[in-house]
Order: sequence, then structure tokens, then C-alpha cells
Amino acid sequence: MSGTRTETGGLIDRTKTLRFRFDGRGYAGHPGDTLASALLANGVRVLGRSFKYHRPRGVWGGWFDDPNAILDVGLDGNAIPNCQATTTPLLDGMESRAVNAWPSAARDVKGGLDLLHRWLGAGFYYKTFIWPDWHLFEPTIRRMAGLGAVDGKTIPDYVADQIHDSCDLLVVGGGAAGLAAARAAAEAGQDVVLVEDHADLGGGLYRRGGEVEGRSPADWLAEQRAAIETAGGCILSSTTAFGVYDHGLVGLATDRGFARAPRLTRMRARRTLMATGALDRPLTFADNDRPGVMSLQAAAEYLGRYGVLVGRRIVVLSNNSAGQSAVAALRAAGAEVVEADPADGPIRALGGARLNGVQVGDRQLACDSLLVSGGLTPVVHLWRHAGGKLDWSETANAFLPGAAPEGMAAIGAANGTFNLQAALEEARAVALGKPPAPSASSYTIRPLWPEPGAKGRQWIDFQHDVTLKDIELAARENYVSVEHLKRYTTLGMAADQGKTSNMAGLAAMAAIQGRPIPEVGTTTFRPPFVPVPLELYHGARRGQLLNPLKRLALEPQHRQAGAALGEYGGWLRPGWYGGKPARDAIRDEVQMARSSAGIFDGSPLGKIEVMGPDAAAFVDFVYYNTVATLKPGHIRYGFMLTESGAVYDDGVIARLGSEHFVISCSSSHVDGVETMLESWRQDGNDPDRIFVHDATQHWATLAVTGPKAREILGALVLDLNLSRDVFPHMSFRETIFAGTPLRIARVSFTGDVSFELSLRTAKAADLWAALTMAGAEHGAGPIGIEALSVLRAEKGFIIIGKDTDGETMPHDLGFGGPRQKKKTAFVGDRGLHSEAANAPDRRQLVGLSVPEGSPALPTGAHLVTGDKPRSEGIVTSSYISPTLDRPIALALLARGAARHGEVLRVWHMGQVRAATVTPPCALDPKGARLDA
Amino acid sequence: MQLFPCPFCGARDEREFHFMGEAGKTRPDTQQPVSDADWAAYLYDQRNDKGRVREVWMHLPCREVFGMQRDSVTMQVLGTTAFRKAGA
Amino acid sequence: MRDDGRKWDAPPEYSQPLTGAGVRAARVWPQRQVLISAPDVLARIEAAGWPGVVRGDSYALSLRRDRVLEVDGPPRDEGWDGRQAVTEVTDAYAVIQIEGPQALALCRRGTELSLSHPSRSVARQMFGLPVFLYRWQTEDRFRLHTPRGYGQALWQTLAAHMRQMRP
Repeated sequence: MSGTRTETGGLIDRTKTLRFRFDGRGYAGHPGDTLASALLANGVRVLGRSFKYHRPRGVWGGWFDDPNAILDVGLDGNAIPNCQATTTPLLDGMESRAVNAWPSAARDVKGGLDLLHRWLGAGFYYKTFIWPDWHLFEPTIRRMAGLGAVDGKTIPDYVADQIHDSCDLLVVGGGAAGLAAARAAAEAGQDVVLVEDHADLGGGLYRRGGEVEGRSPADWLAEQRAAIETAGGCILSSTTAFGVYDHGLVGLATDRGFARAPRLTRMRARRTLMATGALDRPLTFADNDRPGVMSLQAAAEYLGRYGVLVGRRIVVLSNNSAGQSAVAALRAAGAEVVEADPADGPIRALGGARLNGVQVGDRQLACDSLLVSGGLTPVVHLWRHAGGKLDWSETANAFLPGAAPEGMAAIGAANGTFNLQAALEEARAVALGKPPAPSASSYTIRPLWPEPGAKGRQWIDFQHDVTLKDIELAARENYVSVEHLKRYTTLGMAADQGKTSNMAGLAAMAAIQGRPIPEVGTTTFRPPFVPVPLELYHGARRGQLLNPLKRLALEPQHRQAGAALGEYGGWLRPGWYGGKPARDAIRDEVQMARSSAGIFDGSPLGKIEVMGPDAAAFVDFVYYNTVATLKPGHIRYGFMLTESGAVYDDGVIARLGSEHFVISCSSSHVDGVETMLESWRQDGNDPDRIFVHDATQHWATLAVTGPKAREILGALVLDLNLSRDVFPHMSFRETIFAGTPLRIARVSFTGDVSFELSLRTAKAADLWAALTMAGAEHGAGPIGIEALSVLRAEKGFIIIGKDTDGETMPHDLGFGGPRQKKKTAFVGDRGLHSEAANAPDRRQLVGLSVPEGSPALPTGAHLVTGDKPRSEGIVTSSYISPTLDRPIALALLARGAARHGEVLRVWHMGQVRAATVTPPCALDPKGARLDA
Repeated sequence: MQLFPCPFCGARDEREFHFMGEAGKTRPDTQQPVSDADWAAYLYDQRNDKGRVREVWMHLPCREVFGMQRDSVTMQVLGTTAFRKAGA
Repeated sequence: MRDDGRKWDAPPEYSQPLTGAGVRAARVWPQRQVLISAPDVLARIEAAGWPGVVRGDSYALSLRRDRVLEVDGPPRDEGWDGRQAVTEVTDAYAVIQIEGPQALALCRRGTELSLSHPSRSVARQMFGLPVFLYRWQTEDRFRLHTPRGYGQALWQTLAAHMRQMRP
């Protein structure tokens, strides 16, 4: 127990008390506290356990740079795992618990693991758990690993707000430099946004103490804030810039309170100023991980910002000049402070888990807190996200921003300008786009880096238990690249992502290899700068909105009819109707369609209009089949190909007039076909003479198919002769239904008489009602996609992408005519005459029949012959045909067209069956039903 | 997230754009004999340059097909070329 | 082959508007929407881009360099008439009107959007969906046309974002 609350000072509100619990014990804090500052004020030292050895851990840092104090926090029934104690604002009633420790951080039963450290060095699990089998050990190790506990409950409405914004100048960091820059730019008329990750502005001023430009920090801050806002600038507090992305985009996460998802602002900034300050880095010495060893700058932060004096008897070990004001402030607050020179010899923290002194060379100094400062490290993460370069500074002993990325500049401590007055001048100049005046730095530092071979256990990564010896081991095993070093030892992979450990780690590697630090380099900096919840990225795009389906206008009618709804090609569509088991419902629908008629909602079918003086030549070019000869009022079935000659889509095209076509592509291909048409239109054709209008969703399309289709349509009282001589198959008529234009196409995907009726979607319900009512008279009713899939398979009609693959060409499907005869150029023409297209063993569409009494073949099964099983094809569609009362199947089979009658073996998951190759069409091969 | 300039619409989010291919390819005249090598080159050969590249893109909302010069390393957009004059 | 019907909310009635802090959204039903394409269509028909404010009951929106969407205009013959291509698409687009002081802020949930970044086309992607976005009658009233099949998704998306538009 050494931390105490000061009588005055800091931003906390001492008039209000907040009650909270940690590891089962009750404590009190104040508004303005973080969990860490409140626990420190209560004298709590051990806030966590390290990941591997379960060594006791205290607070190292004052903000996002703390790797040690990770807590599971609950409030009002909501639990959030893995909260950084140093950045989590304290709220009344919080229940917190150290992760990776049981029953408490102070008395963790796994603390004994530390005794095994000799055998648990870097990469121990790669070496230790090989024999007999890693999987034997994995469950136990997985149970032991991991940090916070997830309670399995979801927090209601935990949805991130997301907004896009833009500005002339984004200033990241609300410390002195950031505020000065934001004010200068705002007063010069720039549209400025300043973000600060704390709730309060001020940044490092709370550590530094003393006056700013002749005023108290509080007065100076208030003045800057007022000036910025008066000039139209915007200040976002509790907001972290967590990543810089392309073209000036910066990701901002705004804290909206405990158990509420943050707000994501995608800020597009013309220019970004990085005023992110600098972090104090640890010194590497024996037992430097003990609770009570803390960053000197953090101790100053706790005193200045939170009114917490971390210890009474303090030893300071610092190799640089930055901590002088902190030492003075700690003394002024009543602490006894002894400064020791870390260069005076080997250092060792004394007293085990309860720090009571430090050995520096021959000297032993008693203390309750050991405050160390290994030098300031500018926070350059955003700089590196944006592709900025880093230069090693010998004088600052740190990597400083070098060549700037597009639209970015660094100011203040983040730029290595550690002197306040110099930082303010630099900030104001850079904000206005001027070069900063050079200034002599008052910051001095004596290099002090890890010494290879030093005695004792010297921590580099506190949370992940990476010690100097681990880095030496990695170097001996040739993991010398910093990226390999990181992954082999897990250095820098702790919750702080190397903010405390990377510099020491790479300096150690440099020393081991005798190379200069800049030659060793840094690992890659990647967003996010601090942990953010995944909800931040998806926001409201979850559940049904993650990947929304298109919805049919008649969905209420389908639901009413008991439709089973499923995704088919981006639409939510009826698979079958009536609330029966799928198999029964589909069989009944097929039988109904074959004996009477089925009514099918085909609204997603493409209705892409192609118009203009060159329309006919254009559709001729994009279709495999000859379309230019199609007469108005008529329809043709055809393929669209890719340039390699593969079938891309099949469908029908209707000619409404000499310069007006409607392409009815397959439902899932509408966007793709439209994009393809548009790209060919603008690339290689005259776009002023061809126009492509996608009217698909204006039209609802209902198909009536079956022997009673004509009678059912007859009941609609249309001014139209439906007789087969006047309105033959593959022709097209326009008429009026209920006062609205109705287009009727005689096409068939079932082999039975079929009419496709299209009218504006607003009237779809009327047509549906009329058709289902008329259908009921004849025992006809709705059929879903599954029944249609069986009906078409009985006829050997293909579904692109199911019965074809990316290599299937039209001549594989029995449509070789245009390949031989079409005279004009068309997409894919040359591809149809490649060596592959002419290969004798191309996979061609066939049907398969099975012996009497056999079940349906598995879709995807391989077709094999001979002694040496080699797949010669696959089953692409397979059903039990209710019409034929036997299994049917379609397949792609090498040389299939010439192999009708051959018996093959069908192999699937080790099972072998027999099947006979047949023509694809199993029902009514002469097409008598079509014109019945 | 990149911003691409559509010659008609102006700067828009990269997600509105569709990459159509490298610029400079012309469809061979298939009414004349085209060798396997020429056709394969048209279909498959890509320069895949590092650095400055010329590409054809489509802006999906307005279906504008246009040329764009970019730097494939820095992601900087160096300029665009409209292929059409209509509506100018 | 599954019944996923329960995973997808049944279509809403649209009779009640969505309301949030400083913003309200409602379905509107234009009488007629017509696509008109021609090389010179923008020279002949005055068509709104972004962020112009559309006045008048009958208006045209600039979609492409050779295409407009005419809303509530006169009936037109469809097809190619030698000068322009015309297709009626009244039911192809669901239209949602958003208004209120926070209407622009709601729109900015869905895309990078600024009144100081004009665009010649009203066509864009918002919330991952294709839309036509423009201001209608007043400065803080917006209309969104989206392909009809996505109308429900856009409606639910707006509702979800409105719930999060709190401080």
C-alpha cells in the first residue's frame, strides 16, 4: 500500500464518490478517475498477472501505453472483457476483475508457473509439444492461454454509430502543440477538426506542470478551446484516431460510454497534423517487471491529472532530461524522491512482489516505488500507417518522423520537439503551411539500451513475458529480422501492441548483433492504434442488413400461401409452398404443374431493354446466337459468352420493334449482364447509338405453366387470342390487364405450355390474385423454385453455374450451330476455336439413368470408368422425377454426347454406383407437350 | 478508402468503381484470322506494372467507362481520361 | 434447400414514418418515373445533380452523361423514337423521403457526402446500396430512390442508424 490521493490537484471531482469493486473488494474513487488511477489511489499495487509466467503486474503507464492492467469489467449486467484499466473511465457500481488470474491478481494460483520459466522460453511450445502429438496438449494449453472471460451474453443495441465527415485540417492530439496548431489554422479560416483521446484537453501539460506562455495550464487550455470554437473549429474529445488509410482517410473512434459501442467517424482530411506526443520507454534491468516499477512520466500523469501520488519513498532512474519537472512535482506533493543514475551499474529491483528497494551498482536504496524513464519515444504509428518514413536521431535517441506522407505533418513531441515553447512555435508555423523555425533542443539523453548477457531476468515485453534472454535465444536460432523476432517470441504482440516493448526489443537485437539500431529497423505499424471493438467496423450492417437480399413485391402473398423462403441468386424467393415437408411439397407441386398448371413468381428474371439505331447489331455482337434476324414480336433463346468462349448466361431475347429489344437474362445475372452490356457498349461500339435500360424491377413476372395454362389465362378476359396457331411458342404479345399494359411471352422452362406474364409491379398483386383464383378452378396453384428446378431437369434444361462451369461452351450443351455458321463477330467468337475448345475430350451435357429401384445419385458425384479411376465428369443436377417416378440426373461428361447408352461408375465419398448415359431430356423428347 | 475521380460525377468512394482491365488493349478483329498467341495475349497478358499504371474503370452508379492513371505503390491518382464527349 | 423465412422480417407496412432525433423518414410514391437516354439529353432537359434543390412537382434527375430520370413528368411513348430512348420504370425504384435538421447527418451515415462537393449525377452508393440522392423542395429534405427490391433494406438501414444518432 503506497499510492495515496492528494488533497488538491488533478481533474477529478473530490466532492463526489464512486463505489466500485476489484477482485471482490470494494473501493472508492471520483468522477474523472480511470479504474487504474482509482485503484492506485486506494493503494492497490497488483492489478494483473503476466500472460505466460503469471508474474504479478502493476501499472506501468498512464494511458494507452500500459500493458499490464487488463480487467474484465461489469456494470448494470453488462460485461466487457479485456478493458485497459488505465483508459477505462471509472463509473459508480463497476465490478472489475483482473484477467488471467484466479482467485485474484494478488493471489493467483498459477503464480507457481514462474518457477518453470527456465523451460518456458521463447518458442517453448514449438519445441516441447511436438511428441507425440501437439493436438494432445492443445486443449490444455488453450484453456490456460487467453485473457479476459466472455460471459456469452450480448449487450442489447451494442451498435456502433458510423458517420462520414471531411475537413481541411485534422489535428490528432489535444495537447499544447495540437491546440496551438488547431487555433492557428482555424483563425486562418481553415475548416479544422481536433481530436483528443482523453475526455479533457491538455495532453502532456498535466505531466509537466508549470505555466504555459505565462498562464496556468487550465487558463491556457480554456483560452485555446474558446478561440478554436469561436473560429469555427470542431473539438472531438474521447476520440482516438486509430488508423490512417488511403487518400487522407483517418478512422476516428469516439467513446460513447461503458457498454455502448463507439462512434466511427471516417474523416477525410485534406491535411492531417500528428500531434500525438511521446511515450516514456522502460529501462531494461533485472526484475524490472515488479509492481511498483512505473514510468516516471506516468507517475507525473497520475499526480497531475488524477491527484494520485503513486508512492511515498520514490527512487527515480532516468537517463534523460524530460523528467525534471516530474521529480519536482512529486517532491512538491510530499514524496521523498532520490534520483539515481542508471549508468552507475547493474540495476535490480528488490523485494519480489512487494517492491522495497533497488540495487544500483553497489548502492542499495530503499523505496516503495521505482520510477524509471528510458527516454521519450514519439508516437509515430499514424505516420507509418500513412507510409511516412522514420529517421533515427542520435541526439534524441529515438525514431523521429522523416520524409512525410502525402498530406501529413508531425508537430510537437511526436516530431521530437520536446521543448514546450519550441513545440508551440512549430505547431503554429506548420498549421499555416510554413516551415518551422529551427530551434535548439533542450532535451538531453544518454543512450541506455539492454545489455546482452546481463544477469537476471530482464523484461522487454511485460505482458507477454518476453525477456532479454528470449531475444538472445531468438538471435541464436537466427530469428534476427525484427518481424521474425516478433512472431517467434511474441514480442510486441501484447495488448499494448509493443508500445512499451518494441524499442527495447529491437535495441536488444541490435546490440546482440552489433548493428546500429536504425539498421535493425522497426516492425510494421498497422491500424488500429488502440484496440477497437469489431462492431466499430460493421456498425448497423449486421443481421439481415449485413448482406441484404432483394425482396419480391409479392412476398406477403407468398408468406400467406405458406411459402418456405430462401436465398436464390440474391433474392428472397419461395422454395416451395404449403408448410409441408420440402420433399412432399416439391413432389406435389411438380405433379400439379404437369397435370394442371403451376403459377410461378419469376419477377427477378431480367428485363433489360436495348434500344437505338445500332441496337440490332449490338445484341448480335453480345449474343452467341444470331439475333439480328429475329422478327418483331418474336423471341429467341440464346447464350452470352465470355471472351474466352465460356457460357456466361443463358436466357431469351424478345424483339419489340426494329430498334427495341428486351433481354431476359437469368435472375441472378441481371447486374452482371447489364454491366457487361454497358462495358461493350462504351468500349468498341458507338454509345450514342445504343442505349441500355434495366427495367427489371419495374416488372413483376408471373409464369403459368402446364397443360391447363391456356384455360387459366383465358379466365383473365384478355383481349388476346391465345390459340397456338395465332400465339405460337417463342412469340411475344402486348395487351392490357386491369387497365395496365401486360406483356406476355410464350417461352417454356418446363416443356409444357407456358406463358410469362409481366406487368408493372404495383399491379402484381392483382394479377397474382386473378391467376391463383383462376388456377384453383383447375387444381392449379403456386409452385416454388425447387419444383421448377425439377421440372426443367426432367426436360434436360440447364441452369448456368449449376449444370455448367467456367469451361463449358455452347457446343458442349448441344448448341454448336452459331459456332460453325455465324458470320458476324460476337463476344467469345475466337475463344470458341481455341485448342481447348476443339479438344476431343470436352465435357458435354448428358443425362443419367439408374437401375430400377436405385435412389437418386448424389449431386457432385464423379463419373469414372476403367481400372484406374479418374474422374471423367460430374453429376450436376439430380432429382427423383415425380412425373417419371424414377431418379433423373444431368451431368457433364467427357465426350458425353457420343456415349449415350454407356454404363459408368458413379463415385461419391467412397461409394460406387452404376448409371447409364442418356440424352439430357428425360421427358417428352419430341416436345409434344409444348404445343398441346 | 480511396477516392477516385469519375470524369462525370467527380470524386467518389472507391467502392463505387469496378476495375475493367489495363488500358491499351484492343479487341483483335475476329473477322480476320487471329493467331492463338494473339488471342491469348488479348485475354490473359497483363503488364501488372509496379508504380505508374494506366487502367480502365467503370463508375458503377453512372456506368461511366473511363481511363485512370494511378500509382500502384502510393495509391496516388494521377489523372483520368474521359472516353466520351456526350453531356460535356 | 431450407426455409429461412423466419430470418427475414416480413415486409413493413410503410404507413408509419420512421422518426429519430431531428429526422423523419417516410415512403413516398411518385406517379411516374421514366428513364430517358440520348446523347444530348442533358442539353435538352434540365436535370438536377448534387446538391442542387429540386423545385416543382415534375422534375428530372441527372443520372449519367446521357441519361435522366424524369419524375412525375408527362406520359411518354416507350422505346427509341429516333432521338431518345424511353423506358418507364415507375415501380423499379422505391422512394424514401428524409427530412429534418439531422437529415443530412443521417445521409452522411451512408456515404461521404458534403454540400460543398457537387456532383453532376445523383446516382451513388449509400449504405452499400445503389441510390439516387437529391434535395427536394427545401434544403433539408432529401429523396432517395433505390431499386425496389432493396427498398426494405434501405428502410431498415435508416431505422437502425436513426437509433444510433444519439449523443
